[in-house]
Amino acid sequence: MSERNDDFITYELQEFKLFEPLFRWARKKSLWIVAFCTGCGGIEMPPLATARYDFERFGIMPNPAPRMGDLFLITGYVTPKTLKRIIITYEMMQDPKYVMIHGSCPINGGVYWDSYNVVKQFDKYLPVDVAIAGCMPRPEAVMDGIMEIMRKIESGKADGWKRYRDNYEWYKKNQDELFGEGWREKEGKRWLAWI
Amino acid sequence: MDMNEKPKVEEKAEEVAEAPRLPNTKEGRLVKAILEKAPYAEGSIRRERRVEFKVPADRIHEFLEVASEKFEILIQITTVDWLKEGEFELVYQLWSVSESVHAFVRTRIPRENAEMPTVMDIWPVAETYEREAHEFFGIIFKGNPRLGPFILEPREYEKHPFRKDFNMIGYVKMIYGEDFDRYDESKTNYVI
Repeated sequence: MSERNDDFITYELQEFKLFEPLFRWARKKSLWIVAFCTGCGGIEMPPLATARYDFERFGIMPNPAPRMGDLFLITGYVTPKTLKRIIITYEMMQDPKYVMIHGSCPINGGVYWDSYNVVKQFDKYLPVDVAIAGCMPRPEAVMDGIMEIMRKIESGKADGWKRYRDNYEWYKKNQDELFGEGWREKEGKRWLAWI
Repeated sequence: MDMNEKPKVEEKAEEVAEAPRLPNTKEGRLVKAILEKAPYAEGSIRRERRVEFKVPADRIHEFLEVASEKFEILIQITTVDWLKEGEFELVYQLWSVSESVHAFVRTRIPRENAEMPTVMDIWPVAETYEREAHEFFGIIFKGNPRLGPFILEPREYEKHPFRKDFNMIGYVKMIYGEDFDRYDESKTNYVI
């Protein structure tokens, strides 16, 4: 892993590597979020965004377009139908992109552990950089998770997008097991340009 | 003591005699007016602003037409699965805007090949609630044109997951894998 962190992003000109620390600092300080508010965590976002906790002082901005987003927040339980949209949205985002999941439900199902309609392990389908446990995590915990992801970006450990690219076959196999073959062509053709 | 006890007993006897009759409140008058038009139904008052009717399943459409004169809004159609009795209980929840009264209309149908007439001609909004009851319980509403897969995945639509005899754990293990199993704190006993 540590060797791979050197080529954190491939540059056309090798001398751009000199500016890598600067780029990392800039990325860490301008996380635009794609707030995909699934489940109960969506209601924890307004206190985080408004005056009390105010994540804009860290350069975080809610952003309506996934093509400009950096940080993907999954804020609660994920149903298979939502997971399709999440995967499509994730694949629309530009590299580098980071995923943070809130609460117990995306980690292991949480209170919905025996529900027919909640995805049990989110990281089988998409790579996760930071997971915050709790049901539901308070805004302080979410801030702590955001600090964690900023630290990881600075040290180059937030490499979920890279893992997704390297292990794409494995992720695709899991997704196809859940949704059936050819779901991506059927659902995402309108959004994903390469299909 | 004797002097005090006797009047109390008399009062209680009077109350018991009064209880079956409908009180002279707005709910009582409402139930009375509906039961006069539909004598096959049973009506009672749960509490203030809440009344309840029990109707045989074959006359439900007729009854709801009568009730819709007073109750303008259909709030919801709820289904309860009584597995031991082998019956579905349908609860039509109605709201009267003019009287501010909430009504439950309960009816029971057999579980096998459950069929009901649609009430879309009375309240068009019933379409959505009937689709939902159809998808989760498999009840067929005759006359509703849009029955079919609604919000679930097609494979779940065939199984009707809210039925009590739906094997939830088996289904979950089948589609999400078995690696979410639960043990107790000592890691010895399997909880499921």
